[in-house]
Amino acid sequence: MLATIVAGTLNLLTPLAVGLASFFSPLFKKAPQSRVRLALLDQVPDDGLPRSFPVVTDRVDAWTKYPSQQVGSVYLIRQPGSGQPTALTAKCPHAGCFISYKPGDDLFRCPCHTSAFKLDGTRSRGDQDVAPRDMDRLEVEIRKRTTPAGEEVAEVWIEFVDFQTGHKEAKPSA
Amino acid sequence: MSGRLHKLVDWLDNRTGIRGLLHEALYERVPGGARWRYVWGSTLVVAFATQLITGTFLWMAYSPSAQTAWESVFTIQFEMTGGWLLRGIHHYMAHAMVFLLLIHFAQVVWDGAYRAPRELNFVVGLVLLQIVLGLSLTGYLLPWDQKGYWATTVGTNLASQAPLVGPEIKKLAIGGSDYGHHTLTRFFALHAGVLPGLLIALLAVHLALFRRHGLHAKEPVTRPDATFWPDQLLKDSVAALGVLAVVLVFAVWSKGAELSAPADPAHPFNAARPEWYFLFLFQFLKWFPGELEVWGAFVIPAAVFCLLFLMPWIGRGRKGHLVNVGILVFLIGSIALLTAQAVHDDNFALWHKRTEANASRYDASRAFLDAKREAELEADRIIALARSAEKIPPTGALAMAAADPFLQGPKLFAQHCAGCHTHEISKYYAFQVGVDPQVFRRSAHNFGINMVDIVNPDPTAPNLWGVGNRGWMQAFLNPHHVADLDHLGYQNSPFADGDMVSFIKDSLGEELTDEEREAVENAFLLISDALWLEAGALKLHPDARSEFEERAKRGRELITGGLAEVLSSGTSCTDCHKFHDAGELGSAPDLTGYMSREWLTEFIHNPAAPRFYGENNDRMPAFAPHADPRLNQLDDESLRLIVDWLRGDWVVPGAEINPPGE
Repeated sequence: MLATIVAGTLNLLTPLAVGLASFFSPLFKKAPQSRVRLALLDQVPDDGLPRSFPVVTDRVDAWTKYPSQQVGSVYLIRQPGSGQPTALTAKCPHAGCFISYKPGDDLFRCPCHTSAFKLDGTRSRGDQDVAPRDMDRLEVEIRKRTTPAGEEVAEVWIEFVDFQTGHKEAKPSA
Repeated sequence: MSGRLHKLVDWLDNRTGIRGLLHEALYERVPGGARWRYVWGSTLVVAFATQLITGTFLWMAYSPSAQTAWESVFTIQFEMTGGWLLRGIHHYMAHAMVFLLLIHFAQVVWDGAYRAPRELNFVVGLVLLQIVLGLSLTGYLLPWDQKGYWATTVGTNLASQAPLVGPEIKKLAIGGSDYGHHTLTRFFALHAGVLPGLLIALLAVHLALFRRHGLHAKEPVTRPDATFWPDQLLKDSVAALGVLAVVLVFAVWSKGAELSAPADPAHPFNAARPEWYFLFLFQFLKWFPGELEVWGAFVIPAAVFCLLFLMPWIGRGRKGHLVNVGILVFLIGSIALLTAQAVHDDNFALWHKRTEANASRYDASRAFLDAKREAELEADRIIALARSAEKIPPTGALAMAAADPFLQGPKLFAQHCAGCHTHEISKYYAFQVGVDPQVFRRSAHNFGINMVDIVNPDPTAPNLWGVGNRGWMQAFLNPHHVADLDHLGYQNSPFADGDMVSFIKDSLGEELTDEEREAVENAFLLISDALWLEAGALKLHPDARSEFEERAKRGRELITGGLAEVLSSGTSCTDCHKFHDAGELGSAPDLTGYMSREWLTEFIHNPAAPRFYGENNDRMPAFAPHADPRLNQLDDESLRLIVDWLRGDWVVPGAEINPPGE
């Protein structure tokens, strides 16, 4: 009796366990994070207004590698006189839509569930907003490079992190 | 029945018991005789059968991967015989199923048909309802178009907020940390394998239990009982036929099912909305700010479902039943209200005027409608490209769209050029078309005419509409236009009273006799035709080319010295410009290949190069002066797209040659 139950269970459990192991494989993979060159500093005027820049990097999807693909969008804002812009990711911390900004507007607006953010990325209505937190900031690094002609140009690099949506704290979606 | 057939049936019956099975299937007792109100369960079974059949055939043409899903659905919709109808039926029957489920469920609750001994069957029915919703949810993504992709993104992001295991659930659902091939393979396995399998198994249980308990008759029963065959089966079939007819009307009316542009992870679809039967949830979520969202997305819906599962036990007594009916009415009422509110919010701008008070609602709706329209136009173009002789490249439709100047030009222009330039259909060339301009614009790409306005209200550089066209060349040789805001007379232009402008104005000064004026004007027209051909004369029909070749030849002679004999000033173009072998660089841009793709590309690379404005360059930055692309503001591909878009140089679907004229 017992032997039959054990044998029968093993017969079914073995393929199921192997199947589940492969089914769960996404849990064992880490999301790639990368430093990405976003723009030249000259392309970000120091007028305190947001400008959208595409995040272009290699993207791997299962078996396909897409070289230099746009994987996201980042708003760069440079205050007057500052040499260091702030970077806000365009992905809404609420449900992951892309926050848009129309030149002239004094707010970032998300088209999905009406989140709105001030130009420094904070929520326009604070905790009353549907977004659980302010827009996510990305780490900015300025790299200098010298052209063959001896001219010095500054590049804006960011640490492109994809954050989980819907939480009060920004957690990378590793 | 003939003797032989009888014998055959006997033989079968001996081995399978088929007579008994048929008898059981057909001679189910219907208390009080056949009634229309008993048809809903059967319509659902037929609807599901329709989905199995159409789904199987769709399966035979569908390919789940990020590079083939949209492409294969495109082929079903536009290339396969009747494919559009197949999709249409599958799509609208799915809608019909949700609607029929609602009726079926409401009727069961209203009639109290969940009471003992039918409690378990009611529970099975609710699970079936969830499976059907799961099928809709997974099916919505499979075409891998913008609409399904972004709606599913929002849905799975919400799932990631589930307590404790949310992020893991999301990862398992989408097969990784990003949406891609494995999202499709998983959703497809769920949609075509797991969920239908479960549904069939539970449907068998549902029907078996239904047969075991018998039909729940609507009291009072006034007529004698009958059997399922023939009257009730007829009524059921007619009702199912009615459902099919409605589905067919929708499917034919909308020419299948919508296919929006291919899913693009980098470009959000700002009009992402779930299907209409989930709109109420979408609207409901707007009530829950921040972290409270988990209440709107999980806690409350889960609580409501628990309540539904408990209905048979709540409704044991008469009062309890009334409570259930109350819950039902409240739920249906709220769903209807929330759905109406969602539709109203989205279409607010269509139905109201903008005022100070409603500004934010109006703007949100306007943005939604604009995004929707933009997405439709984009889808039109991509589908037209895919249907053209070009077909879809191996890299997929998204790569095809990314390389299309018609689609990418306006975005790149807005981003890189519109800070100074404007791109407006010049008033001199505006023409009256007898159709809605929006409709015209929709098809304009078919003619290679750049009809998109990207308006900078306060431009500080020329209007770039029509660059390289015949009209563009003529305007620079016209004393009324050369120094206007659209050309060399832009704001604070150092060229507004420069050599070129005074040359053109002097050449056609007031002192000329009519005869002289005509000669000059004629010379200028010949020159502009020569330059037009230098630029490639894209819109020139090959049949007309020989005539223009003749004019252009004379134009070239004028440019390289001939003009000096026509003008009293005794100068010609090559006194300042270089043109092929004649003239020198240094004082004015090279006219060799002026405004051709190569010329314009090099010009944007570096307008201050000796070949162009050199030291006289005004404000235009060099967008790509360096050999190392990392040092440049614009990459070569973006630059190509801008140039081709400005020049109206893109694939014109369905046309081997451009139509004559401009």
